[in-house]
Amino acid sequence: MSAHKGRATVKERAELALNDEFLVKAVKFTTERLRNGKKNASAEHGNWEEWRERGRQIRLHTIAHLDYYLNLFVDNARANGVHVHFADKGEDAVAIAMDIAQRKAAKTVVKSKSMVSEELHLNHALEGIGVEAIETDLGEYIIQLAGEMPSHIVIPAIHKNRYQIADLLSEVAGERLEADTTILAGFVRKKLREKFLEADIGMTGCNFAIAETGSMVLFENEGNARMVTTVPKTQITLMGMERIIPSFEDLEVMATLLPRSATGQKLTMYMSAITGPKRTADADGPEEMHIIIVDNGRSLQLGDPEFQELLNCIRCGACLNACPVYRHIGGHAYGSTYSGPIGAVLTPALNKNIAEWDDIANASSLCGACYEACPVKIPLHDMLIYLRRRKVETGNGKAIETAGMKGFAALTGSSAAMKAALAIGKLGQRLVVRGGEIRTKLGPLKGWNSYRVTPSLPRRSFRDRWEKLEREVGGTRPQMAPDMQRRMEEIVKQREQGGGGHGGH
Amino acid sequence: MADIKRDAAVGAATGSGSTRAEAVGSESLPAGAAAGETLSEERAVTAGAASGSGDAPADPAHAAWLADMERASRAKQVTFMDGIAARLRHARTTVKPEQPMRGAPDFWRAFDWTPEERIERFQANWRSVGGHTERVADLDAAGRFIAERAEELGARIIVRQDQPELATLGLEAAVPQAEVSVWNSDGDVYWKARAAEADIGVVLADGALAYTGTVVVRSAPGKGRSVSLLPTVLFILIPAERLGTRLGEALVPMDEAGREALPAGVHFISGPSRSSDIENDLTIGVHGPGVVYALIVG
Repeated sequence: MSAHKGRATVKERAELALNDEFLVKAVKFTTERLRNGKKNASAEHGNWEEWRERGRQIRLHTIAHLDYYLNLFVDNARANGVHVHFADKGEDAVAIAMDIAQRKAAKTVVKSKSMVSEELHLNHALEGIGVEAIETDLGEYIIQLAGEMPSHIVIPAIHKNRYQIADLLSEVAGERLEADTTILAGFVRKKLREKFLEADIGMTGCNFAIAETGSMVLFENEGNARMVTTVPKTQITLMGMERIIPSFEDLEVMATLLPRSATGQKLTMYMSAITGPKRTADADGPEEMHIIIVDNGRSLQLGDPEFQELLNCIRCGACLNACPVYRHIGGHAYGSTYSGPIGAVLTPALNKNIAEWDDIANASSLCGACYEACPVKIPLHDMLIYLRRRKVETGNGKAIETAGMKGFAALTGSSAAMKAALAIGKLGQRLVVRGGEIRTKLGPLKGWNSYRVTPSLPRRSFRDRWEKLEREVGGTRPQMAPDMQRRMEEIVKQREQGGGGHGGH
Repeated sequence: MADIKRDAAVGAATGSGSTRAEAVGSESLPAGAAAGETLSEERAVTAGAASGSGDAPADPAHAAWLADMERASRAKQVTFMDGIAARLRHARTTVKPEQPMRGAPDFWRAFDWTPEERIERFQANWRSVGGHTERVADLDAAGRFIAERAEELGARIIVRQDQPELATLGLEAAVPQAEVSVWNSDGDVYWKARAAEADIGVVLADGALAYTGTVVVRSAPGKGRSVSLLPTVLFILIPAERLGTRLGEALVPMDEAGREALPAGVHFISGPSRSSDIENDLTIGVHGPGVVYALIVG
């Protein structure tokens, strides 16, 4: 599909990103702007922690009873006159959408932004049967012209500058367009207006689905989602099966959290609640409306205590803007539809192929900024650790790393071995120590010493000084509390019996 | 484009009088909007939609296909939900579970501004996102204001919703150089295209919220979704007594009125269409109206 797909690992893709000076600046600028916007908006609103907890509780409750709420939504949507479909896998959803398009003899589909449709690579499939699928969100339209994937959940084209955009749009226009934002946006407005009016099908995602009324809710700033749900005769909505909330009352909490977290707005310019196709006497709105409910790996998280909370995600992108790694390497380095901390966890979770995507779990410093930023308090940094652990447990760890850890365990597990190793080390390091520091980038120290300096082993170690120290402090050493001592002894005993494992995960 | 015919079925129910008889006070918002005000024509026409998919022309082959799809979908619904329950390790939940936290925190529900504060905050919010707002004494003044702007802008086509309040604006007489169309008042007009070519759209708000600077408009036969979306310039009239404080004041009544009382589209509008997708440079009027006037009446 595009250039970044060819590179195998996050590291390689990140190098690609880090070399692109504009990208680095643009990503930094945008994420900075969004992050500050969010900080101001949440501070200005006040009681942010209480709102976050509210949002978390509503999402937790809905997901814990998803069978009830999703079923209720489906029944109500049908009663509203919507045709509801279910798709276990991405291919099933694509097949249903293509079936509808063929039945309608559709030539053009206009789409508003939908991460689910990105996940399914639906545009490609539609093109395969001769249906033109047009992204109408300004940023999505631009990257579709460029043949790329979104690099940010909220601002998909942050990696393009206006000169590149002017080039792309000039090609469509058949004349030279000035690299001026107003002119470029004006051209897209005119161009897409024609498309909205001639399109056979409008396709949308879904931010929230209201179980008790069967309504779907869309948040946006441009108005293209409203176009897509107002003008074409047929509407297809792709909806992740976890998008449900019980009521409009709950929507107030989500509408408080989502725009503030995504863009720092009090509310997006448009929030639309669509309840079924147009009423008989209405003069606009779709005559036929389909909702395709997509699983595509989501149910794998249900009932998994470590990952179920992933389904609470409201796709705001705040974790991307907060993440120090994302801010440096940008979205394409993650190599998948979802980027940033949420992508690092969601992609392997949805695909169940931890081995293939393992490296994106390592593209994190585990600083927890993502959790702090998350409006529904998903513990992403914990999940990244779970992922790394599962990777090792399934035998997808690195052989050298595993051997190294085993060696380290053997060495530190026995005082004699440790003593011997330190003695050898003190001798050996004479070759590389300069002024108490080791700066060589040879062998195992290459990675570490590229950006840091390794301190040398001291002439007299703590172990060497222990005997003297103990004599000095004598009987004044504080006694350990008896229950703690018992517990420690217990642990040591268990370890001896269990054969030196390094932790009870 | 205006010559494209609409489906015949729509033509019948266009007029303004027939569907407006039943005013449903509970749907309006906030509580200040009196039940007698004729803003709730939706209920009378929603019943027809519940049975099927709008007014698509009866194509037997297509209808049969939809019926097949529905049968498959209903069967799949059972296995899909059973699968979810099995993953969650509980039996299918068929009784409404008790929801420990629903909606906004209590302190928030108690929060309210005085009518004057609401107007002030609404206008401040509306301006902060690039919208225009004025306060006018009455509908006559609003009509004069719109007419002046229309003349300034050299508007040629104006589309307004089919509501008595908007009829009293007298735009037809006040803006002689423009053609003023009343939404869905003629079965032979392709109304979506008409709205798309309009310079100005005029709508009456069903509600408004000061805290977020948001206007609520509900769709109905006489109230097109396109009128607040497709024209280049939009005028929204907000009767002062419909201006509330919090978003919840508009959302909670939607739950209370229930599914059947909801129109096809409820739109919350908080300013002009905008995008920052090109180099973070704010652009106004990307797809929807770029110039949006909120006129607070009274």
